[in-house]
Amino acid sequence: MRVSLNLIKKYVNIPKDIDEKQMAYDLTLRTVEVENVENLAEKYQNICVGKILEVKAHPNADKLRICKVDVGSKTVQIVCGGSNLYEGESVVVALPGAVVVWHGEGEPVTIKETKMRGEDSYGMICASSEVFLDSFFPAQSETEIIDLKGIDCNPGDNIADVMDLNDTVLEIDNKSLSNRPDLWGYYGLARELSTIYRVPLKPLDTYEVDSSLPKYDVTIQDEDKCHRYIAAEIDGIKDISSPIWMQSTLVKGGMRPINAIVDITNYVMLVTGQPLHAFDKTHVIDEKIVVRNAKEGEELLLLDDNTITLTKDDLVICDAKKPMCLAGIRGGKDDSILPDTTGIVLEVANFDAGTIRKTDKRFAEKTDSAIRFEKGLDTQRVDEGINLSLSLIKEIFPDSKIIKYNDVYLHPTEKNIIEVSESWLTERLGKEIDSKTVKELLTYLGYEVKYSKGIYEVTVPTYRSTGDVTIKDDVMGDIARILSFDSFERKPLTINLDHSIKQNDYLLERRIKEYLAFRCGFYEIFTYPWIEEKYLDAVGINKDNCVKLATPPAPELKNLKASLIPGMIEAISKNLRYYDEFKMFEYDEVYQKGAYSPSSEDEVLPIQTKSLVASITGKDAKKIFYELKGVIEQMATYTHMDNIRLEQKEKPSWADINAYLNITKDGEVIGNLGLLSTRVMSQTKIKRTNVALMEIDASKFTSFASRTNKYKKLPELPLIEKDLSIIINTDTKWEDIYKSIKNLAYEVEFVDEYYGNHIPEGKKSLTLKVRFINEDVSMNAEQINEKMTDILNVLNKKCGAELRLE
Amino acid sequence: MEETLKKVKEEGLETISNVKTLEELEVVRKDLTGKKSKLAEVMQNMRNLAPEEKKQVGMLTTEIKNVFAEKLDQKEQELIDQKSVLDGPIDLSIPGKKVSEGALHPITQMKYDLNDAFLSLGFEVYSEDDISSEKYAFDNLNFAKDHPARQSMDTYWLEGTEDKEGAERLCLRPHLTGGSVRYLLKHGAPARFVYPGPVFRNETTDARHERAFYQYEALIVDKNISFSSGMVMIQTILEKVFGRKINTRMREGFFPFTEPGYEIDMECLVCGGKGCKVCNHNGWIEVMPGGVIHPNVLKSANLDPEEWTGFYINIGLDRLVMMRYGVDDVRLFHSADLRFLKEFK
Repeated sequence: MRVSLNLIKKYVNIPKDIDEKQMAYDLTLRTVEVENVENLAEKYQNICVGKILEVKAHPNADKLRICKVDVGSKTVQIVCGGSNLYEGESVVVALPGAVVVWHGEGEPVTIKETKMRGEDSYGMICASSEVFLDSFFPAQSETEIIDLKGIDCNPGDNIADVMDLNDTVLEIDNKSLSNRPDLWGYYGLARELSTIYRVPLKPLDTYEVDSSLPKYDVTIQDEDKCHRYIAAEIDGIKDISSPIWMQSTLVKGGMRPINAIVDITNYVMLVTGQPLHAFDKTHVIDEKIVVRNAKEGEELLLLDDNTITLTKDDLVICDAKKPMCLAGIRGGKDDSILPDTTGIVLEVANFDAGTIRKTDKRFAEKTDSAIRFEKGLDTQRVDEGINLSLSLIKEIFPDSKIIKYNDVYLHPTEKNIIEVSESWLTERLGKEIDSKTVKELLTYLGYEVKYSKGIYEVTVPTYRSTGDVTIKDDVMGDIARILSFDSFERKPLTINLDHSIKQNDYLLERRIKEYLAFRCGFYEIFTYPWIEEKYLDAVGINKDNCVKLATPPAPELKNLKASLIPGMIEAISKNLRYYDEFKMFEYDEVYQKGAYSPSSEDEVLPIQTKSLVASITGKDAKKIFYELKGVIEQMATYTHMDNIRLEQKEKPSWADINAYLNITKDGEVIGNLGLLSTRVMSQTKIKRTNVALMEIDASKFTSFASRTNKYKKLPELPLIEKDLSIIINTDTKWEDIYKSIKNLAYEVEFVDEYYGNHIPEGKKSLTLKVRFINEDVSMNAEQINEKMTDILNVLNKKCGAELRLE
Repeated sequence: MEETLKKVKEEGLETISNVKTLEELEVVRKDLTGKKSKLAEVMQNMRNLAPEEKKQVGMLTTEIKNVFAEKLDQKEQELIDQKSVLDGPIDLSIPGKKVSEGALHPITQMKYDLNDAFLSLGFEVYSEDDISSEKYAFDNLNFAKDHPARQSMDTYWLEGTEDKEGAERLCLRPHLTGGSVRYLLKHGAPARFVYPGPVFRNETTDARHERAFYQYEALIVDKNISFSSGMVMIQTILEKVFGRKINTRMREGFFPFTEPGYEIDMECLVCGGKGCKVCNHNGWIEVMPGGVIHPNVLKSANLDPEEWTGFYINIGLDRLVMMRYGVDDVRLFHSADLRFLKEFK
């Protein structure tokens, strides 16, 4: 919302020692966020009225004219390309030093004395967009310059004076107004300032309506939706512009002046927050207004030429025959004020906020009127609206006359009454505020306050009684903010040391992430909760089991992730553009259809579990497979949790036909490890590389309550270490080799395997390391050789191994 | 004889001084002091000399022997000092071997930093699941029945539930606050806990807006506490993140689940509070909303608002991480782009 400070000052005298910046700061801290303070007068320095004395052709340019212009102190020559120049015209002249925006676009530039096609030009005759006046003077073409015809001004007058722009505009963040219907009128902001500075608030204009006037025919059919309706039939209206001061207020508020009647309704809305509407009286058939629900399917042609189809929930203002406008939201085409309008019916009414909100949902853009009604206005504000508008109509149309009048007032907004105890207030505010201060500031805000024996009985003003202030906490909030939250002492928190905090699940998740990132070299990624269908299809996930969004970010992103594998594959294919080898992991929630009630039985949510996915991308398939296998094998040890095992049970849909293992815990499969299959890679455009992947249901992890491993006594003598290379069949498993000899040595360790040169077809070489422990005395070479021969014999017998000869 | 010995000494010293390697030195040592050396020869021939001369030559040879030994040792030390463990030259400009790569996501890093700070203040870390319901995301939190955030333009409702109400209308949680009631229902009061996590809003995305973003919320529920203690939590967060005291201000704000609510601004770190483009020329940046828990929320958590009170602080982690590093596009956080993630080791 944009607010003219001059207008605020009409209702409240800001103390002299408070400058605009300070005032904006005070308002921001206590009431609403002032996003910007714009001094308009600054923009119009060296921009003044000029009178064109002579227009002649430019010798070197067809489209330019040379003008002699009276700018008050002197007569100057200005070259101008305006299409509507004539002698005697009053125009807007930017003199050297003025800042303008060329053709209303781009960065502001400073005007200098110059030559245009060889002719001297002292300044510029301006189009409206060049000097921020397009709202006053909408241009029909790019070359149209401002014609000040009809505006009271003299050559040399500063434009800010002429257009009433010696003012400051406060830009207020609308979000910070969302709960304060009273602040949607400038008068409400004036009231806040009067409270902040404890200065009086001046009253709004009043107007006495002759009670003997005939009644305008008004019927309210649904009193829950329309609480009050005033209709005033007024004659003596003509098509004139509103005064410059009024136009200027509208422009500063971000509105466009139209004609005097429309401008008055908008002006009153800006000041009081009460929306108004004016009908051409001849358009209201049978001089009768009916406020009713629309009939299902009924149509209404709106002011913007769109026809809408109404439903029975929409509230419409009708004449004797048909709907004229959408109550409180949008005017109808047929009810508008036209150049030939000579009489109007003025509507000042109060509509139910919910009704307005519901109907307004269908429009992408909210009207100023709908925005205000949606917040919940009090019926008493109708008085402020009608009084100010009638007095302005009388001022601008002195010959106007109210012919008929009716105020149908069904449900006045009632004032909330709240009791607040002094002790409660002290406790919650954290300091004692004396009752005089409490009474004073609440009274400035419009509350009536009675204080007796430690209890405040607070009567809330109607403009805060429509939902804003309902409980004592709301009153406390008002006191706290007006005193300023910042003025309260920042009290330290005390710590209650009755138990230490040990959160095993949280700590385990963190250890796992840190293990993967810091020890194993993986990067953590975040992906969205939804996943593109093609990755689900590629991986072979049944979409029927996926939880789905009603309004997804895009049609192909309807499914929420049931596994982290598809998202990881997407991330891999994206990163392959930049890297050949990389490791990534994600630890996040996955969702599946099912029933899960974490907090209360009435709420049944899909099943949500934490999952861990990790991948290694690289050319050497076996290498990355074993690397990832190692990450899983050692994870439990390094992260202090219950052991997990690897065994082959059932192939995951995405895995290679040979290279996969299932991750199990206590016999249950809780995850998978494997190389990504050729089929999935070709479907997801992963080329010329390989991917090792694993996914584990992280909810199955159990953290140790503390460390569990026991210290093993160190051997007294050094271990003896021997390498052994053997030749075995390619299908012989390490597991069998290990099992057959593990009892013959202190430790048996796999070193590597080798295929190729010097190894016969169908065979492979395998190197292992054995360690023997020296018992009482150090073993000699003969004893060691004996042990090695034993091992080789067992390997030969059980696995058909031969010693590999170098 | 003396002449010969003098020559042996001079030649010997000359030879030692010309030695280049330790191997050569060993050969020279043998040549000069070994059994077949000239010196040994002289000593062997001594018995043929007159006693007077014998004594003379004896002294001289011993002296030469000592000089040789001393010079040879000296040379040996010299050569050892000059010897490198390397066989050939070394290019010192070649970069060192890379350590293992890998990093936590920058948002996780920030989250852990904050968790550490809050754990030290006696807070627990809690987390709620991503999918919630209208009851927990809105009804419990005192959102008006027709609050715009309840619309599908704002919140991601789940298919098949979008037209239902309350506990039956399910969504990706639009904020963390719903989790506060879940915690309180389970554990009761007093309580102090943080609950970080991703939240989801149906938005048009650009460099400053995301559909999935990370929040960090903290809540205290206790008796007899004032909202002004909330400032301490804020200082904790900011000092942890930026490593020094940051000026803050607390101003009026409105949220359905608080009364009163406040916004906390921090001094713009780019311009130091003077006003710049980043802070929209007012010197302050909005970082955290917060406020006193609305009595209706406490009631949803089966707590008596006459007895209990407390306050929330909520912080947008994405924004804070963006400020910490100067990241200019919020969408990078969910991009899984390693070029980006590798910057946060």
